[in-house]
Amino acid sequence: MAEHGCSDESVNRRKYLKALSVGAAAGLAGCTGGGGSETEATEGGSGSDGSGGDTETGGDSSGSTWDSQLEVLHGWAGGDGEAAVTALIEAFEEEHPEMDTNFQAVGASANVNLNATILRRLANNNPMSSFANWPGKNLERYSGALMDLEADVWDAEGFKDTMQSRAVEMCKLNDKMPAVPIGSHRMNNLFYNPAVFEEAGIDASSLDSVDALLDALETIDQNTDVTPMAQAMVAPWTNLQLWAQILTSQSGVEAYTNFIEGNPDRAAVVEALEALKTINENYITADASSISFTTAGQKVISGKAATIHQGNWVYGMFRADDSFNYKEQWDWIPFPGTEGIYFYHVDSIVAPSNNPSREETIAWQKFVGSKKAQIAFNNPKGSVPLRTDIDPSELTDFLAMTYEDLTDSEAYPPTIAHGLAVTPKTMGACKTAFGDNFMGPFKVEATADALIEAVSE
Amino acid sequence: MATHDNTEHVSDATDEAVGWESKLQYFLNSDFVRSAPYWGIPFVLMSIAVYGGIGYNFAISFTDYEGLGTPDYSVLDLEMYAQALSSDAFIAAAQNNLVLLVGFTTICLVLGLFLAILLDHGIRFSEKFQTVYLLPMSLSFVVTAQLWLWMFNVESGILNLVVTTLGFNPVDWLGNPSIALGAVIFALIWQFSGYTMVVYLAGLQSIPDDQFEAARVDGASITRTYLRIIVPQLKEASVSAAVVLMVFALKAFTFLYALVGRYRPPNGTDILATLMVRRAFKFGEWAYSAAIATMLLVMALGVIGPYLYYQYKQGSL
Repeated sequence: MAEHGCSDESVNRRKYLKALSVGAAAGLAGCTGGGGSETEATEGGSGSDGSGGDTETGGDSSGSTWDSQLEVLHGWAGGDGEAAVTALIEAFEEEHPEMDTNFQAVGASANVNLNATILRRLANNNPMSSFANWPGKNLERYSGALMDLEADVWDAEGFKDTMQSRAVEMCKLNDKMPAVPIGSHRMNNLFYNPAVFEEAGIDASSLDSVDALLDALETIDQNTDVTPMAQAMVAPWTNLQLWAQILTSQSGVEAYTNFIEGNPDRAAVVEALEALKTINENYITADASSISFTTAGQKVISGKAATIHQGNWVYGMFRADDSFNYKEQWDWIPFPGTEGIYFYHVDSIVAPSNNPSREETIAWQKFVGSKKAQIAFNNPKGSVPLRTDIDPSELTDFLAMTYEDLTDSEAYPPTIAHGLAVTPKTMGACKTAFGDNFMGPFKVEATADALIEAVSE
Repeated sequence: MATHDNTEHVSDATDEAVGWESKLQYFLNSDFVRSAPYWGIPFVLMSIAVYGGIGYNFAISFTDYEGLGTPDYSVLDLEMYAQALSSDAFIAAAQNNLVLLVGFTTICLVLGLFLAILLDHGIRFSEKFQTVYLLPMSLSFVVTAQLWLWMFNVESGILNLVVTTLGFNPVDWLGNPSIALGAVIFALIWQFSGYTMVVYLAGLQSIPDDQFEAARVDGASITRTYLRIIVPQLKEASVSAAVVLMVFALKAFTFLYALVGRYRPPNGTDILATLMVRRAFKFGEWAYSAAIATMLLVMALGVIGPYLYYQYKQGSL
């Protein structure tokens, strides 16, 4: 009995071990196969059974083999951003089907989690291949931890000639070029509902100053049941951004430039704050303090609000609604008083130094700057390519118009609320200035003091 | 002389060696060592994960560590603590933390006690009510924060529907800095008063019925019975519930973060935890944030310490 039991048990144990190892192998295969499965899907008809050698020889024209995984972190986790990054990834995997890739969306509003993850991993000396971030002064937060792509990507691909010179400057940090731009949003927009404007008797093209805008908002308030403007104040950046538009409109690009360069004109700052206060106190929806810009955009779509100022990422949102079309249910003018100006925003892909996959990263960054990538990404994103050699007919109507403005405007002030104009610390202080003093009640003097202190430091 | 010295020394050494060996033998055979694999591994893991983390945080808070790179331990000072204590943002956050701690805990306890007494009266469906009250506690902060965000909405939220029906002006719950903290406390109370109710209910049910009967025979009113006889016996339950609530109040970060989806909570509700995370993960001010973290830890210990001492004095620790 005992012997019998014993052998029985050992058989069981053996079976158990076998089952365990099979399970472990399956698990391992599942893990390692995760990256590859997408590759297989895009390869489709080639019929190869995923054996490495087969695909490698058939793949890249240069015949190079990839031995590290490309890991890219980005924040485009939903909506138009997700569609854009998916299109970008698909295009990249067509180009490099044999590369092992890992694109991670670190979601949450306004890149909060993305930036925290990047900062933590770089501080722990555990860099990824590339990550999405704003270029310009924003890069200073990663100072000393970024890879130089100037020779391997910028010069090798001739991007300095094909990219807008402004974008080239934005991608420089301490004589290095760690970033490649992917797309630009225009900031100085006023989206509006033409039906409401008609009802109120306003001619959008006549809005040429902040005063004209305020009059129009007042008219809408008086003559219609619609809230004149949608504004999101759950976070302070929307106020900062709108204030920057008003300042530029009232006092000119120079006043704005002086402000971001640390020579603020207090009178101009206060004047813009007063106008913003008038808007926030009288013409926006009452729930502004608890809604995000996506909810604010929805208010325009649903006809509850007549206008909204935002970057043209809301175009990506408007377009997602089939019954809400450009020139029909919504229209666009440059923010009143900023005609001929393209308020500049850039998204880019940045590479950290001590890169875990040097060759793969270089190939990826080269791809990011290519025509194919810029068109694939920007169309769904609602932004425009930064290359100067794109045929506008490849873009949607609205984007083609924006693209033409991008290539020939009079001035391109960099956005303050999106990393280009000032260092992350100053940007944080500017947001805090609004966050502490301008979320209702609206304290003009205190906000002006805090803003001036923020840029003067 | 020299030889004598030497021999003595040698004999001393052997004496010691023997003693040392047998002592080691004895030591290795002791229960302490033999049980080490069982308590030792968790102890080591715990030490590294928790106390190691606290120690590292403590060390960083004395440096000037900022941004990327490695901390420089050559200059250690209390500069970050001084900087924090002199900053308005820190003081405001600490004040909010204190208000949250005291307000939330007190109201939760009172409300929980009230509900527990009601349920203890053997009303119909009391078990079902108990579940209904306890349910919010089982929900994640992420869920409750989103629910409350909708309910607090000025235009479409249910709270303002009630307020305007009663004939008042709509209230900007989260947008008005002087109300926002109250609104957050309100939401947290909604979530946690069920917990205090259950703790109190357990305490109430352990009190023998004889005491109620004796009080009634002696002619004490119900209020008097509760105030003089029953509630004083709930001291233990109060203390343990209060400690749990206070610790939750210190960690209200999750709720605030889920409310707005970013590190900056609505104006007037900034607490030490949100301030700390914001300074660290948005601006990379590791040392400054570590100093805030240490002070938050001290606050938490200030809450837990007296409780532990109380338990120790009661002999239950």
